[in-house]
Amino acid sequence: MKNILKLRWPTRNGFPPLWCLIALGLTIGMSFFFAPAAEISAVRLLSSFPRMIEFCGKIIVVPDWSYLPDLGGKMLETMEMTFLATSIAVGISLPLSILAAKNTSPHPCVFHATRSLLSFMRALPELVWALVFVSAVGLGPLPGVMALAFVTVGFMAKFFAEAIEVVDPKPVEGVAAHGAGWLHIRTFAHLPQAWPDFISTVMYILDHNLRAATVLGLVGAGGIGYDMIMSMRLFDYNRLILIALSIYVVVTLLDRASDVFRKRVT
Amino acid sequence: MSHIIVNRIEKQFPNGVQALRGVSMEIAAGSFTVLIGPSGAGKSTLLRMLNGLELPSSGTVSIEGQTLGPRVMQRIRAKTGMIFQHFNLVGRLSVMTNVLTGRLSHRSWIGSVLYLFHERDLKIAHHALERVGITEKAWERADRLSGGQQQRVGVARALAQGPRLILADEPVASLDPVAGEEIMRLLRKICDQDGITVLVSLHQVALAKRYADRIIGLNAGKIVFDGAPKALEHDVLNHIYRNQKAIGNEEHFEAQMAYA
Amino acid sequence: MNGPELTPLPKKPFSWTPIWIFAWLLTLCLIVSDLHISFGALAYAYRDIIEYFGRYTSPDFSDLPKYLKLLFQTVATAFWGTLIASVVGFFLAPFAARNLSSGPKVYRIAREMLNFMRAMPDLLLALIFVASLGLGPFPGVLALGVHTSGFLGKFFAESMERIDRGVIEAVSATGASRAQVVMYAGWPSILRESLGYILYIMDRNVRMASVLGLVGAGGIGLELHDTLRMFRYDESAALIIVILAAILFFDCISTYIRGKLT
Repeated sequence: MKNILKLRWPTRNGFPPLWCLIALGLTIGMSFFFAPAAEISAVRLLSSFPRMIEFCGKIIVVPDWSYLPDLGGKMLETMEMTFLATSIAVGISLPLSILAAKNTSPHPCVFHATRSLLSFMRALPELVWALVFVSAVGLGPLPGVMALAFVTVGFMAKFFAEAIEVVDPKPVEGVAAHGAGWLHIRTFAHLPQAWPDFISTVMYILDHNLRAATVLGLVGAGGIGYDMIMSMRLFDYNRLILIALSIYVVVTLLDRASDVFRKRVT
Repeated sequence: MSHIIVNRIEKQFPNGVQALRGVSMEIAAGSFTVLIGPSGAGKSTLLRMLNGLELPSSGTVSIEGQTLGPRVMQRIRAKTGMIFQHFNLVGRLSVMTNVLTGRLSHRSWIGSVLYLFHERDLKIAHHALERVGITEKAWERADRLSGGQQQRVGVARALAQGPRLILADEPVASLDPVAGEEIMRLLRKICDQDGITVLVSLHQVALAKRYADRIIGLNAGKIVFDGAPKALEHDVLNHIYRNQKAIGNEEHFEAQMAYA
Repeated sequence: MNGPELTPLPKKPFSWTPIWIFAWLLTLCLIVSDLHISFGALAYAYRDIIEYFGRYTSPDFSDLPKYLKLLFQTVATAFWGTLIASVVGFFLAPFAARNLSSGPKVYRIAREMLNFMRAMPDLLLALIFVASLGLGPFPGVLALGVHTSGFLGKFFAESMERIDRGVIEAVSATGASRAQVVMYAGWPSILRESLGYILYIMDRNVRMASVLGLVGAGGIGLELHDTLRMFRYDESAALIIVILAAILFFDCISTYIRGKLT
């Protein structure tokens, strides 16, 4: 009778399924395997709590309001870079996506070549390209815009292509059956149908790019990031808190706006 | 003069289904022909082949003396209008733009990629809309229309093309009886007034008998009946729609018989 | 074709599209002039740019063991960041899902928390953590963990909101507590999707961990920064190739597994 109270899992043999155990073992094993390299240790974590709290105390200070106009200018620059880079990327991604979608690509070879190019473009983070472009064309927003646009094309064209691949084939046939040419079919049947997905992709990427643009300044590629790292280095926490706050506000506002916009365009 | 000559075409799909087994026929210019037959008999495949949407595994199709092949495809499609069971409109575009897609084969690519059309094309589209009687919906989005109205847009799109041949693949199968009747009347009128050859595949034998000049019955990829609507007797229908059990659709068969 | 009895077309409805396009182009022009970007100069300088990129053509792999060690550190940082994010997301997501949350207030608070974590760029967080905890990959792990918790929590919560209402009702109709509903109706329904999201975040974290070094948070990024600053382009090229190979490798694996999952 004591078996009634024994705990067991609801499987055939009472043990959790094998894949579950393997996944769990793998995760735990990998965490221990990676822990030394990532310098994870419980001691360090615990000992860092007081320092963390101390730092939080330091960082919560009276914001330096006189910095506000300057901050506004930098924030505007960041947003402008985001907008410009995203727009450039849209212009380049539209034609590329037609080549990179299985159902609109002129040839499987072109499809594979374009897809590989795109995954190369999006592989490295914006900051690496920003580093390279800064040393190529000098400091300022230009290398930032170039880096953002370059990486964005890699993402955007891929998302666009995926949107094109799932359009309803029936209207495509409807347009093709009337003798429309290769490009006509794409502009009149594929693109209008993929349009809502395009809009939400652009909004999503705009969101991502704004966040990326805020840190491009770390390597001198324009935007608010430069002020951020400078105030950090100079222990100018009255400014830092203002910068962090403004980034939070702007990113959140854009997030909300894009939610509203996406719901309207369907 | 025959408009379409189909010569012993066979079609096997990659999944092994043999849709057509040696179909030959000639369709006279300006005639109204209806294809009937059970589901899976190959009606759709045959129709789609006349427009190059499917390519035959063997045999040839020639339209107005031109043998259908990849090189002449676009030229033949430009003269052939097609109407689909599910309308196949681009739902997000306006009715007008949908009708204008019928004009694309007459336009160079550069302007129309930017959605620019000649005033003349607009005029033609307007006339087409007028004929199907939905001018007042011209600027509405196509997916906001009812099924019957969407099919009219489909007819208008085919008309705007200025076709010599209209192929209609079960144009009334997803419509209610009244709307279906109207579409058939419209197609008959187009055939009579403009002298356009019309080829329709249908499920409703009654409609076929009422509107067709000639009826072709298909079963299991072969032509089993070819003649005037009057010759379509009960036992002939039985012949066309036999083997329904194999497909497992007996009720459908009964319904068909009741219609006839 | 010219029947006289043509009813006129209805009036064309007013379209905002041209106005939007015009406004968009105008904004672009204003931005270009405001940022003082001169694409003309860029076009003139193309020779210099080509020459510049020519400097990267002879990668120097002599320090490869060191690079691989740094790469390993980068991957470790990314893994731990993802692990933290998964755990935090696991606990936060049910509160941030409208249909499983314990009340509208809790829902709002959870959503705002996730939103805040998402809004802070990971490099800014890394800067802050480095300043408070010192150099090394550990602050990087925390930065990635906090930032991507926001992402994962949001993704999980949104998946949960898409769960069929009937499933949740059926489980709660048995008298299950909220935690039981989450464990028996919530997570099992979205397990596959969630694994996909975790892989996606892992992929992203490897990418980001490779630049965390710029702010002193460990990994291969600092090395790249230093070689570029000292104009040692051969080594930079080698580093870029190593990073690129690692990222593409992870991209392939995660795409493959995600493909298997669906």
